[in-house]
Amino acid sequence: MKILIIEDEEGLRESIEEYFTEAGNICETAATYQVALSKVNLYRYDCILLDITMPDGSGMDILKNIKENNHPDGVLIISAKNSLDDRLDGLNLGADDYLVKPFHLSELKARVTAIIRRKTFGGSNQLLFNEITIDLLSKEVKVGKQPVKLTRKEYALLLYFLANKGKVVSKNAIAEHLWGDGIDMANNFDFIYSHIKNVRKKLMEAGCGDYIQAAYGMGYKFTDQ
Amino acid sequence: MKLLAKYNRVNLITTIVVMLITGIIYYQAISWILTSQNDKDLVVEEQEVFDYVKLNNHLPQTFESDDQQITFSEAPMGSVKREFINTIYFKKLDSDDKPKKHRHSHDEYEAGRGLVSSVVVGNKYYKILIVESKVETEDLIRLIFAITCGVILLLLITLFVTNRLILNRLWQPFYNIMKELKLFNIADTQNIPSVETTTDEFKELNNAVVDMAAKAKYDYNTLKTFTENASHELLTPIAVINSKLDTLIQTENFSQQQSKLLNDLYGAVSRLNRLNQSLLLLVKIENRLLQEQQQVNLKDLAEEMIGQFEEIFQDKEIQLTYKLDNKEINASRYLVEILLSNLITNAIRHNYRGGSINIILTDYSLIVQNTGENVALQPEKIFTRFHKSSKSEGSGLGLTICHEICESFNYTLTYSFSNSYHTFTIAF
Repeated sequence: MKILIIEDEEGLRESIEEYFTEAGNICETAATYQVALSKVNLYRYDCILLDITMPDGSGMDILKNIKENNHPDGVLIISAKNSLDDRLDGLNLGADDYLVKPFHLSELKARVTAIIRRKTFGGSNQLLFNEITIDLLSKEVKVGKQPVKLTRKEYALLLYFLANKGKVVSKNAIAEHLWGDGIDMANNFDFIYSHIKNVRKKLMEAGCGDYIQAAYGMGYKFTDQ
Repeated sequence: MKLLAKYNRVNLITTIVVMLITGIIYYQAISWILTSQNDKDLVVEEQEVFDYVKLNNHLPQTFESDDQQITFSEAPMGSVKREFINTIYFKKLDSDDKPKKHRHSHDEYEAGRGLVSSVVVGNKYYKILIVESKVETEDLIRLIFAITCGVILLLLITLFVTNRLILNRLWQPFYNIMKELKLFNIADTQNIPSVETTTDEFKELNNAVVDMAAKAKYDYNTLKTFTENASHELLTPIAVINSKLDTLIQTENFSQQQSKLLNDLYGAVSRLNRLNQSLLLLVKIENRLLQEQQQVNLKDLAEEMIGQFEEIFQDKEIQLTYKLDNKEINASRYLVEILLSNLITNAIRHNYRGGSINIILTDYSLIVQNTGENVALQPEKIFTRFHKSSKSEGSGLGLTICHEICESFNYTLTYSFSNSYHTFTIAF
């Protein structure tokens, strides 16, 4: 997939680029409004990560430009402003999602993956990973032909892992993804451990390989390698 | 004591004192005038006696009149000094043939003015005592006294009434300014309106109050803008740290120690982030920037929240009981979510393993109770910013946010502690 990262903050831009760059992905970056505008109008992307506040212009104008020209690119706004108005403005203008800074890269990846999935697969709502099949509409998970019953959170966790496969996902990122920002239980992520244990057990009982690995006590990695 | 009352008291006391002094002076003056009138009469009488003696060469007959008595008595030559005296006038009211037992009751001693003089008749020396009743004088003085008292009374009443009416009206602008001051809210966008008055002092007071309020608002806004800007500026570096950490853990081969350090970093960054978000949220609530309202079903929302925290209840073996009535409120859903989430998170965080939490929603209140440390918190402090127990891992802003949210909805949030339950009550 092809992604454009429009972000004026160098540190953030680099991290996102590095995180998204993997086999099969092409990442391009734009640090200024002007560069972003020309790239948006020259090339097509599966998803554009759009920072709203840039020194030489507003990301909202880029969004307007994309929509006025009927470009089909998915747009995810990344903004420092956590205001409902901005969020609504962005979504009304046709953005696909809105993520507030600061965020975990894994969260960003999950959101981008979801956007691209919606855009490109259209009617097909099946997600495949080796022997795992996920029906995104009915939220059913199968290992081979064997259905696996997961709770709502376990299902969300599996999707999150699949979007970030091959990456180490921190426990904080998992907690915030599943329990929201409000989860204010620093240093107490035992409940995540038991959650992951459950998912892993359920999948393996259905005959699935062991794809979830603990990573140095910092997080987990979903991988088949 | 009201200024009016104070002023009245001083005013009354001075008035009474002045009136009394005037009364005394008045009394003295009148009394002096009347006495000299009396004395003149006495001198006339004396002259008459002298004339009579000169003409007839014997003492005149003494007779009693209504207001004058003359008595002659022999005295050694030259022993009498002519002088005016204050004496007693013995008045016989009725004729002598009245029964004796009643007699004294009809006699009256009255104040009198006398003139002691002497006359030589032949070779005899007589002392003359002319006494005149002063009863008319006294009556006059009494009348004057009564009039004075009446005037004092009238004055007092007039003063009292005019003070009441006029001063109340005069002070009206002051009370208006006071009312505005009491209503003054530094976070409000509205300024203090100026009060209509023609009194210079009140005009000045009003101007000072309006200026002060405007300045306070300005300073407050500057401070608030600063907080907001500072928090906004912090977002980007926090985002960078966060993303760098996320990138860093993708690299392989960490030692036990390194991963522990990374974990701590994650914890600290996420705390910093939450703290910053809380500050931003507070500014927004205080600025009433989250005003959008919708129907929120509290019961549904509470159930949703409870579901959200289910795993954590289980993990901490917390016994949750809840009884939720249907309750719809008109409020910002976003804020209500934060409110509920903060209250429940607090109830979990300050609980012990195996403790319990009760959530009760009725038509007029929402109650969140939890077990925890068996010591009551300080109700006056828990809602202030950055007040937290030393063991708390929270930002110290959670309850402040709850309080501010409730205030923006015009609800009251109160804390109480009984039967080892910490109870937070929102009264709608």
